[in-house]
Amino acid sequence: MPLAPDRKRQLTTAALVAPAGLWLFVFLVLPFMAMVVFAFGERAPEGGYQAAFTFAQFANLPSRAAAFWNTLMIAPIGAFLCLIVAYPVAYYLAIKSNPKYRLVLVSLVVVPFWTSLLVRTYAWMYILGSRGIPNLLGMIGIEDVRLLNTPGAVLLGIVYGYLPLMIMPIYVSLEKLDRRLLEASADLGAKPVSTFFGVTLPLSLPGVMTGVALVTILLLGEYLIPQLLGGGKVFFIGNALVDLFLQSRNWPFGSAIAVTLVVVVVIVLSVAMRIAWKVSGSRQVDLV
Amino acid sequence: MTAASANDIEFRSVTKRYGSVTAVTDINLTVPKGAFVALLGPSGCGKTTCLRMIGGFEQPSEGTVLIDGREMNGVPPYRRAVNMVFQHYALFPHFDVEQNVAYGLKQARPKLASSEISARARQALEMVRLGGFEKRRIHEMSGGQQQRVALARAIVNKPSVLLLDEPLAALDKKLRTAMQIELQTLQRELGITFVLVTHDQEEALSMSDMVCVMNAGRIVQMAKPQDVYDKPADLFVADFVGKTNRIMATVEADGATLRLSNGTALPAGSGLKPGVATVALRPEAIELARQAGRDGGVLAGTVTHRIFLGSTAEYQISVDGLGDFLVTADRRSVQESDLVEPGERVVLTFDPGKVHVFPA
Amino acid sequence: MTKWYRENAPITAENLTDEWMRLKRGSVTRRHFLGVTGLGLATAVLARQPGLFNSAAYAQDLGTTMSLATWPNYHDPATFEAFTAATGVAVEVNVFGSNEEMLAKLQAGGTGWDLFVPTNYTISTYVKLGLIDPLDMSKLPAFSQASQSARFTSEGAIDAKTYALPKNWGTTGMAVNTSKIKTKITSWKDFFEVAMTEADGRAMVHDYQLTTIGSALVSLGYSFNSIKPEELAKAEELLIKVKPHLYGINSDYQPGMRATDAWMTMCWTNDGAQLNRDMPEIAYILGTDGGEIWTDFYAIPKSAANKPAGYALLDYLMTPANAVKEHIANGAPTTDSRVLALLPADVTSNKIVYPDEASLTKLEFGAAVTLTDPARAELMARFKSA
Repeated sequence: MPLAPDRKRQLTTAALVAPAGLWLFVFLVLPFMAMVVFAFGERAPEGGYQAAFTFAQFANLPSRAAAFWNTLMIAPIGAFLCLIVAYPVAYYLAIKSNPKYRLVLVSLVVVPFWTSLLVRTYAWMYILGSRGIPNLLGMIGIEDVRLLNTPGAVLLGIVYGYLPLMIMPIYVSLEKLDRRLLEASADLGAKPVSTFFGVTLPLSLPGVMTGVALVTILLLGEYLIPQLLGGGKVFFIGNALVDLFLQSRNWPFGSAIAVTLVVVVVIVLSVAMRIAWKVSGSRQVDLV
Repeated sequence: MTAASANDIEFRSVTKRYGSVTAVTDINLTVPKGAFVALLGPSGCGKTTCLRMIGGFEQPSEGTVLIDGREMNGVPPYRRAVNMVFQHYALFPHFDVEQNVAYGLKQARPKLASSEISARARQALEMVRLGGFEKRRIHEMSGGQQQRVALARAIVNKPSVLLLDEPLAALDKKLRTAMQIELQTLQRELGITFVLVTHDQEEALSMSDMVCVMNAGRIVQMAKPQDVYDKPADLFVADFVGKTNRIMATVEADGATLRLSNGTALPAGSGLKPGVATVALRPEAIELARQAGRDGGVLAGTVTHRIFLGSTAEYQISVDGLGDFLVTADRRSVQESDLVEPGERVVLTFDPGKVHVFPA
Repeated sequence: MTKWYRENAPITAENLTDEWMRLKRGSVTRRHFLGVTGLGLATAVLARQPGLFNSAAYAQDLGTTMSLATWPNYHDPATFEAFTAATGVAVEVNVFGSNEEMLAKLQAGGTGWDLFVPTNYTISTYVKLGLIDPLDMSKLPAFSQASQSARFTSEGAIDAKTYALPKNWGTTGMAVNTSKIKTKITSWKDFFEVAMTEADGRAMVHDYQLTTIGSALVSLGYSFNSIKPEELAKAEELLIKVKPHLYGINSDYQPGMRATDAWMTMCWTNDGAQLNRDMPEIAYILGTDGGEIWTDFYAIPKSAANKPAGYALLDYLMTPANAVKEHIANGAPTTDSRVLALLPADVTSNKIVYPDEASLTKLEFGAAVTLTDPARAELMARFKSA
């Protein structure tokens, strides 16, 4: 007997969703559940996990308050700096560039992604290190300038590393923007600056929010750039986790921090999305 | 210019090129104050380019565009006292209806009081009969309503010229007809110049008091609607504006006899240049009668199709020696019986004075 | 050298060490190194090719591949080539940044290592956790207990059972760029003082609790291995005071020192020897107030997949003729008098590698308790996040 059409559609949907669902369950839900279990356990004397039920790990969270604070500060600041740099680039690509070369220019934004961030960050170590820019400065008489292992270098690395992730969603939303709306604005007497703030910016907010959310989430887990360009002096949650799992082998505490970070991210994101909806007046924020 | 110009808009030898493509060539055009001018032509004829040069979205490559007697070359759109109703309206999706209409008012410097902005926006909405829709969002409005919002938004700044780029193209036929009347009324109420761009000859003829027919980047004819229809300047206008039957013919050496390609001779007006010519004849200039029991008539043929339109009917007739003709017959003009059936033999008569002859 | 890209580096042993030597000598850039090694990619394949058809003297049950976990820049590339040629077993090398990390991996399981290189103070913990077994000495005929110096080998044996054989010993001192720093530095006390004054913004400490906390303790007159809360509190106070003045907290100090971004760092013997060889202005100094002396060992994990190959490579490395090449390559001092006799005079006379006995007297071997003491781990986390 043939299946009823909507029953058949349900089965098709289930079949299409199943691989992704299974993947998420095995590689996201299960590990997360394991992490939650670990977070309530205790560290074995020589490291690792030992079954228990205790809130001691969570009670110990204040010992990593600095790492949480650094992470929760640098993530939005880094995302904001990325935005400041990315928006004009995306604007140029989507609105001002010659359409003939647009594809090439957009590809140029993406190309760095083909090389690992590690290698690109190492390149910055050499540019900022004594043999790089400080060497050039030395030639014009400015001696012993130190750029590497400074907070500025970390911010530079973050902006550099995450720029494409910010440019692309903004580019897409600007590219979708109906040019006649800009003409209509000018026609109604708005100077270019008013048009930008009255029409262009609000209509590209979904892209902006997507970019900010993407970069913020990834920055919350960042540890490579501060390690390489900050000289290990800037301590993020990511660094705390690496040390807890690979150095002191304190799995329960590491798990408690990771679980807490996930909770914080969910809260921060949902608040951010709510604000974005309010501002842009639609539920068009692409991530949620 | 000291004295106010009598013309709102003037094109002086305007040419616009995009790279190697010439969009319009040597346009000379004057639009008197308070006129309703239609720029009519097929797509790609340059009519929209002309409109955009008035709006300031394009700058002429050569020549000058004047608005109210002042040269406008290089003046950006936001410094021109003209407003445009865009094709597909280009309403701001992130604003509600009132915010859309108020947008132009908010750009005024010095700033207007918000109470004044609101009052004027509402007034404009009343003019397009959208009172009560102020807080609606754009996507909640129908096509016709969006059209009115676009109108209100464009007139709220009290421009001296309103530009309309295919304003009715997205509406269905009934709504289009209603809007045609409304636009005319609005123009009379506002007393400002309207420049309409359209490819729809019916729209152009029905609303404007001056039609400017364009083809291939040039103005072909500029005249009152009925003159464009009755006295087309060339075969293109005859073809583009209204329907027409084309007949190959020869003007005989006397310059007063027209010989159609099937050999029929007609008296023609005097002073025609002898030689090959094309004759244009409107479908409604032809009278139709059953051939049975009759002699005379200029041409004879067989009805192949009939399209019944209510008060009139359109016939496709295969005329002996000349091919297919289109004839629009007022039902009363067809004798004996209301409708002629396909397959019947008919004779076609017409007043030779209504024939337009265009030398090849 | 930082730790994350050491794991499972998918490159042949030969190429890795070869590139490392070039890198450390400054003849290639770091970027080139990362590029040719293809770090982050899958496993090494090339290394396995040459050995497929030429296994000779050794029995077939050695298999075709084995895995070694060790430290960066710690072997002569030719050693593994020769071993592969002799046995048909290709060696896959994984490099690590700390003993803690090696322990973490073995605790987590599934490493696949057949031989690894733990430092003296960790061996008792590996035994306690049952991660390594006593060695079957009958399979290691090349090893000679008689020619070893007991001072360096004692921690390889527990309860009269030998669990690990010594690779080399070394010290943890200070590398100082004397063209940049004029103050004479002789002690850890000097090190931390100069780090806050003349070398402000130019000094590095390890991202490693044992040496960073240990050296701070020594500078305050305490034991390198102290876990006394009040002494650790003093060390923490010092470290947090120094932190704003540091160039970096990083065990990968060679690039910074070579580029002269950093002028002074905590440093291990072999790195000190390499830096001094290439940049004579960089001096290697042992603290007169103390510091660390250590031995690195070879051990075979209980979970090894290919123990016969692990034993075969260990025996090969214990053979003096092979070991001597290793020592020339990595610059660390040997524990075996048979090897010492074979080393050229310019190596044995290098005071960085073979310092006077008097300068070693105050140095301490790391203690097992520091590896598992949570207080030191937490102190390190507070220091880094301060």
